[in-house]
Amino acid sequence: MQFDIAIIGAGVVGTAIARDLSRFDLRVILLEARADFGDESSKGNSALMTAGFDTPRGTLERQLVTRGFIRYQTEAPAMGLPIRRVGALTLAWSDEQRAIVEHEVAGARADGFSSVTLLDGADVLRRWPHFSPGIQCAMWAPEECIADPFSTPYAYVLDAVANGVVYRPSFAVKRADRLTNGWRLEEAKGQAVTSRLVVNSGGLRADKVEGLAGYSDFVVRPRRGQYLVLDKAARSLHDVIALPTPTPTTRGILIAPTIFGNVIVGPTAEEVSDPDDRRTTPEGLAKLREAMHRMAPALEQFPVNTVFSGMRPATDRSEYQIIPRLSERWVTVAGIRSTGFSGALGIAEHVASLLVPLFVDARRKTTTNAIVVPDLAETSQRPWQDNARIEADPRYGEIICHCERVTRGEIENAMASRIPPRTLKALKRRTRAMFGRCQGFYCGARIDAIFNSGRNSEHT
Amino acid sequence: MISTSPDVLIVGAGAAGLAAAIALADAGVADIVVIDRDDAPGGLPRFCHHPGFGWEYAHYPRTGPGFARYMLNAADRPNIRILCKTTMISINAGPSVQIVGPETSYTELLPKAVILATGIRESNRGNLCVPGIRPERGIFTTGMLQQLVARRDGQLDQFRNLTVIGTEHVAFSALLTARHGGATVRHMIGCEHRIFSFPIMRLLAGVLAARIHLDTELLEIDGSSERVEALVVRQGGTTRRIACDGIVFSAGWTPETAAFVGSAVEVDPATGGIAIDQAMRSSLPGVFAAGNVLRPVESSGWAACEGRRAGQLAAKYLAGELSGVRGALHLRPGKGLKYVVPQYWDGPFVSPAGVEPLRPSARVAGDTKGALTLLSDSGREKLGKFQRLLQTRRINFSLAKQTLNSDAVIDVS
Ligand SMILES: Cc1cc2nc3c(=O)[nH]c(=O)nc-3n(C[C@H](O)[C@H](O)[C@H](O)COP(=O)(O)OP(=O)(O)OC[C@H]3O[C@@H](n4cnc5c(N)ncnc54)[C@H](O)[C@@H]3O)c2cc1C
Ligand SMILES: Cc1cc2nc3c(=O)[nH]c(=O)nc-3n(C[C@H](O)[C@H](O)[C@H](O)COP(=O)(O)OP(=O)(O)OC[C@H]3O[C@@H](n4cnc5c(N)ncnc54)[C@H](O)[C@@H]3O)c2cc1C
Repeated sequence: MQFDIAIIGAGVVGTAIARDLSRFDLRVILLEARADFGDESSKGNSALMTAGFDTPRGTLERQLVTRGFIRYQTEAPAMGLPIRRVGALTLAWSDEQRAIVEHEVAGARADGFSSVTLLDGADVLRRWPHFSPGIQCAMWAPEECIADPFSTPYAYVLDAVANGVVYRPSFAVKRADRLTNGWRLEEAKGQAVTSRLVVNSGGLRADKVEGLAGYSDFVVRPRRGQYLVLDKAARSLHDVIALPTPTPTTRGILIAPTIFGNVIVGPTAEEVSDPDDRRTTPEGLAKLREAMHRMAPALEQFPVNTVFSGMRPATDRSEYQIIPRLSERWVTVAGIRSTGFSGALGIAEHVASLLVPLFVDARRKTTTNAIVVPDLAETSQRPWQDNARIEADPRYGEIICHCERVTRGEIENAMASRIPPRTLKALKRRTRAMFGRCQGFYCGARIDAIFNSGRNSEHT
Repeated sequence: MISTSPDVLIVGAGAAGLAAAIALADAGVADIVVIDRDDAPGGLPRFCHHPGFGWEYAHYPRTGPGFARYMLNAADRPNIRILCKTTMISINAGPSVQIVGPETSYTELLPKAVILATGIRESNRGNLCVPGIRPERGIFTTGMLQQLVARRDGQLDQFRNLTVIGTEHVAFSALLTARHGGATVRHMIGCEHRIFSFPIMRLLAGVLAARIHLDTELLEIDGSSERVEALVVRQGGTTRRIACDGIVFSAGWTPETAAFVGSAVEVDPATGGIAIDQAMRSSLPGVFAAGNVLRPVESSGWAACEGRRAGQLAAKYLAGELSGVRGALHLRPGKGLKYVVPQYWDGPFVSPAGVEPLRPSARVAGDTKGALTLLSDSGREKLGKFQRLLQTRRINFSLAKQTLNSDAVIDVS
């Protein structure tokens, strides 16, 4: 089949673009190298849904993050995605930091982020008594949110597919040949797709994908970020996004609740040469502990559930690398380094506005099919709490993952999805199963069994 | 359906919970409900297909599943109702217990008494913050490995070169389990200078061709996002790699107290388990506790004996012969001890006749020589003779001859 648009890479950015394009009369295919979407940069982040006040002023990034944030507020809930508006504090302990924070508040307000205010040290202490003493002041951004990093690209890709996009996982583009009328994209085993236009949203490997077409405008410089995940009990003490005062080189290590009810400490920022080098290191973990000790030592009493790292698809440029080579029918959407979760819907809208006019007969569809994904937020009503649901289907009363309280009904539903998880880790991301303190000691074998039987029934 | 106000609700159908149910039934209590969140009763022993279970309780050698079956047969009584797939969510004063299960939905139970017997788990890569990668497969705990084998009848044969972390008894349990599942353990790593299980276990490792590396510290896990390829370890100042295709974390015990976090059931930071007095009473009146939820691990037989004692005492409580309120005197561990159980003492309490004897115990923080002592308002008293005290060995002691009138510290001197 000949496609109008082929999107290479199903991270949060590629899936969002696919979803926006699915609203038009276009033949769109989403190609993903890995067995599951969202399995690279988009799987290990802080999941802050930011309004954009701390993105660089006057940039496309600022514009698209701001727009992405606004769209997310209305479109995410319609797809069942949870949002928690917990607010963000940028804390100053020294005179020097105070000056920076005051400057940032003034800047944010001047840029139109009118809800941002300056709190004095006593105010902070009254509301959040667990921080290290001696806080001089803080920037308070009450609209900053946390959201679900895993269900978000899931919702985007489900929605795209429900509206006609073809999704092809395990299709790693290894070759791109220019045709008179577009491109031919080939994977390792020789399967090929032809398309009139290509979008490269290859994240950490976007420069390699560019190379296939002969472009070399930027080089990806993967930047790793390590995290500690504290046990759920920590959230009773700490339920706000807390950032240190930024320095000219880094935004620093933050402490924030997750939508799943834990508290994370991270990320570090380390340049690595291998985009797959997603290891945690003794030095990195020590930095995280040090940051926790410096900002909120009361959190040290809580057990650590796990440690992990994410990888930012940074480049040798500081700006987003959105390069619309429209006449060559190749559009690059890369270098979405640290705000892509927030900016995805803004980026998608921008990209769609560039592409759709090229297809003169592509009309906006009059109807769209709605989708809903499970709400995995700890603060939402969970299936085990919902007696009407259990009475209708007792599988929602059978908790399998005890630490996260995930029921058999939820796990089996995930396996039966139109886009089922193809790896155990993907099943974890769809359900939260095995995310908790025991990391599978109690439920690992049972989840494995459900996963295997689900996979078998998919194959037969 | 179960009644919403049984005489006793037991949480956990493992060794301790079942022993408690049997003792209650023996005492003639009419309505005993046991809930367990797993899909079948029997607790952890169910998955341990090797000998060494239940000795202290039944004085007969059994395998894990054999002991679980033995307990379940004994608990097959008209006044005991076991409900699986049913989870305790929280507990409050009353006692009032919130449970959820496919049969009960989300319900509040108001039993006259509760016995908490929720057991224990091991620590994993994440809890221990082990640096390195975390691949899709090949990182286990012993307990997880045992369930994988028991529930799937093998299928671990793709792991030809596992490394077990730890040298406690359970590490050797991992060795046997791996073999049972068709996998091979080639290395065992301990950070101390001796193995923590019985010295004879070295022979077992030798027979199964597993090399034991002592004084060795795990630094990092190496591999890809799919699989484990090697461990980086440090031994006596040198760092080296041990090639392997999987890693089993053993021990690092954590009592399963998640359902009590934030509740009025006190958890002792020293044990990580529920804090009790000598009558097995927790801080919530009418709520007793027994088994490995009390402290880092004891054997299944020991846990069952504690369960029996809790059951017998709960029966006395129901009969109005025992107060449900925990003793107020605090027994604290001194610097030389890791913990003491029980943590509280009821001065006037005398264990009724026919009740399983109390076995107070302690553990030292590090291997040492000395004698256990009691320091209270009435001075310092020796509780045992001068001897070698190993951190791997439980130290039993008795307070039967003492009359305590104040908080006390138990220590080594
Ligand atoms: C530590 C950390 C913290 C962060 N915190 C936040 C935050 O709090 N808020 C926020 O908004 N953002 C945050 N981000 C940023 C956000 O995660 C990224 O901007 C976003 O995930 C980038 O998405 P992407 O789709 O561009 O890349 P990716 O998710 O990497 O997607 C690219 C996809 O392309 C596929 N691909 C690559 N090559 C090929 C090929 N040849 N053929 C087919 N497919 C291919 C890959 O497999 C991958 O799935 C954070 C990032 C990190 C790492
Ligand atoms: C890997 C491993 C190997 C071992 N090997 C040996 C050995 O060789 N020999 C030996 O004697 N002992 C061994 N033990 C120790 C021993 O078997 C167990 O710890 C023992 O069974 C203790 O009994 P218990 O009743 O306290 O806990 P368990 O037998 O663990 O029973 C606890 C029960 O409580 C249930 N439960 C927990 N929380 C809830 C809740 N909120 N709601 C409802 N139900 C709940 C669980 O599902 C479980 O069935 C081993 C332990 C492990 C982990």
